[in-house]
Amino acid sequence: MSNEAEKPNFITTSLDFLVNWGRTNSLWPFPYGTACCAIEFMSTEVGRYDLSRIGSEYVRFTPRQSDVLLVAGTISYKQAPILKRMYEQMAEPRWVIAMGACASSGGFYDCYCTVPGIDHIIPVDVYIGGCPSRPEAFFEAMFDLQKKIKDESYMKQRAERVKDQLEMIKAKTEQAKAEAREFAREKTAELKEFVTEKEQELVKKAQFWKE
Amino acid sequence: MESVIDILESKFGAKRDASAKWDACVVVPKEYLHNAVEFLKNDPSMQFDMLLDLAGIDYLTYPNHEGPRFAVSYAFKSMKNPGRRVRLKVLVSEADLKVPTLTDLYASANWLEREVYDQFGIVFEGHPDLRRILNHVEFVGHPLRKDYPAQKRQWLSTTDFLIPELEKRLEDKGYKVIQRSKEIMPVEEEYLEGSIRE
Ligand code: SF4
Repeated sequence: MSNEAEKPNFITTSLDFLVNWGRTNSLWPFPYGTACCAIEFMSTEVGRYDLSRIGSEYVRFTPRQSDVLLVAGTISYKQAPILKRMYEQMAEPRWVIAMGACASSGGFYDCYCTVPGIDHIIPVDVYIGGCPSRPEAFFEAMFDLQKKIKDESYMKQRAERVKDQLEMIKAKTEQAKAEAREFAREKTAELKEFVTEKEQELVKKAQFWKE
Repeated sequence: MESVIDILESKFGAKRDASAKWDACVVVPKEYLHNAVEFLKNDPSMQFDMLLDLAGIDYLTYPNHEGPRFAVSYAFKSMKNPGRRVRLKVLVSEADLKVPTLTDLYASANWLEREVYDQFGIVFEGHPDLRRILNHVEFVGHPLRKDYPAQKRQWLSTTDFLIPELEKRLEDKGYKVIQRSKEIMPVEEEYLEGSIRE
């Protein structure tokens, strides 16, 4: 990518604004509720507090259709690989909220079976304290996340990613070329050896027949 | 209640547990455990038809304790004679960690025995499926033993592969499995990054 795309100009900034506007106001959460905090999330979601007011209209129970992975509850070591796989299945852009003391730090479970904070497994954007966190705290976290998303630049990320990919492709082609060269060199050396061997054999035979 | 203890004492060489203050508890010799439980379940005067709980005990740091290190405690309840409860206890030494299973008498013993095996390492002889139930498959050691450091954490690299079990269950119900699934091993480093290892 040329440097043009990285510099903020009218097109990129307005595109960024548009994309961020869309993203901030339709954050669809994917609740990964494993313990009591999930109950509190339910009360955040329904009538009295109503999470749909800020655009989180649908709670999606599949990682493919959601933007925010909401880890509410205690994560044990038996569950750690499952959580990791869930995160990997989510499509970009994706954000993670750790709700409650357990998900943020392991809480009071200082023992052999509980992961001390999900940031040992996946990156986290917003942490919420409390045991369980109140719905107000949850809204605060959502607003924080929205602020964070507004500061992101879609074009910049895109340019960086394309650059990364280009570099990766270049490195891969270099590697492949080097491998091919090495292979060719080995083959030619082998063939040369083979030819010299044959020659020597022929020479020996010729000498034998002469005699 | 006294009669239950008396009968157990006279028939199976059981002893009243002096340390039990709030309930009827008898210590049964290991070799008579299965017979005693069978008697408790099937005898018309007893009819303890429910196994409430089954727990392991580690006496390693217990004050003033003499005798074997482990014990397994069984709590029974009778649904036919309301209010009847009794607790049996077998002592298990560290050299011989084996106890006869009760899965043939009580279906609930299956998972409970798996739990005691998982947390204490006590082996139940004759159990149909003795695997870990709470801790993951890569766990080393038995965490509820008093000599296991309680803060020692162990990472799991991959999820359990449960599809064969599911297929077996479906087959038991009369379905036919057309194609068996194979386990795909994830790349190891991917799942281990970020792990804290001492
Ligand atoms: S932080 Fe408290 S309320 Fe939330 S999952 Fe942990 S124990 Fe339950």
